[in-house]
Amino acid sequence: MKRRYYVGAVVLILLVFIVPKYFMEDVISDSSVGTHVDKLEVYHFHATNQCYSCITMGDYAEETVNTYFADELESGKIIFDHINGDLPENRDLVVKYGVTGSSLWLGTHNGDEFNAEQNTNVWYKINNKQDYMNYLKEIIEQKLAGN
Amino acid sequence: MSFMAFMETMGTSSFPIVAAFFIGLMTAISPCPLATNITAIAYVSKKMSNSKHTLLIGFLYTLGKMFTYVGLASLIVFFGMQTQAISLFLQKYGEKILGPLLLIIGILMLDILKLHFFKSSNKLNKLKEKLAEKGFLGAFLLGVIFALAFCPFSAMLFFGMLIPLALRMGDGLIIPGVFALATGLPVIISSIILTKSVSKLGLIINKVQKLELWMRRIVAVIFILVGLYYTLRVF
Repeated sequence: MKRRYYVGAVVLILLVFIVPKYFMEDVISDSSVGTHVDKLEVYHFHATNQCYSCITMGDYAEETVNTYFADELESGKIIFDHINGDLPENRDLVVKYGVTGSSLWLGTHNGDEFNAEQNTNVWYKINNKQDYMNYLKEIIEQKLAGN
Repeated sequence: MSFMAFMETMGTSSFPIVAAFFIGLMTAISPCPLATNITAIAYVSKKMSNSKHTLLIGFLYTLGKMFTYVGLASLIVFFGMQTQAISLFLQKYGEKILGPLLLIIGILMLDILKLHFFKSSNKLNKLKEKLAEKGFLGAFLLGVIFALAFCPFSAMLFFGMLIPLALRMGDGLIIPGVFALATGLPVIISSIILTKSVSKLGLIINKVQKLELWMRRIVAVIFILVGLYYTLRVF
């Protein structure tokens, strides 16, 4: 009988103190809101042997930048590149961005300040090219506006 | 709303437990884990006569996955190991080991090669054989190993989405645990459906034992095929 009370108490403690945090809203604070952006790097990181989705993700990103941000590309405000993370010459860039695999990253430069952010949502849009491009266009516009 | 849009919305949900669960489900159906999950479904369903046994094996497989995912997340969240180092290491070597390993297991299961040095008389080996016979240890180990094989998309889901979530929550146990449960869920559900329907068929034609023998051969072939898929992908 006593054991049952102990188990009940443990369950109650779990419910009251631990479990709720997993059901509470996870708010991600963004410190870069409203800050000016000097340069935006859009990098598609990949390995030497690429999967089909990895190639598509990079190609769509390149097409988005070429289609909607041609002027910014020419002026150097936006830089786009496919980076092979396996090559020794790209080692520093992989470490700087904190790359953990095939991925799309947006790096913003503001004076000496640098902020790198991986965009994982693009992976969910690979099956719909227009959806992917519209989404990434919006994200790049937000970044350029300093949001 | 399309299926992918739904998975994206749920996977990026502001409720951590919901997000972890749907990132796990997405992982379960992404190409590489799907291949390993099909192998696991086959393995779990090979003894068709007992659905309780199947359920238990399915849970042990999921427990094996949980062991790996919680272990990896704990190394990062509690011990401060670098996500980048672990992720790149596993992507480089995980698949290289998995392919040949599945090939070897598949060939051994086909019983083409008789390995006499495995048959030892001491008690420990007998216990191991007993566990292997029931498939409990095998299912757990399969889960541990399969979880270590990361492809680009599954690596992004785990290291790019789940780990940052676990880090924000400061939790290396519950978040990866829920994720692991979701990755193993399709295996448990599919194996139960498969076992129930195939064993019924076996009862109808009154040949459960013969069907089991064929199931074992089919499982071996699936191991070999998935092993080949991984080996050819990497080498």
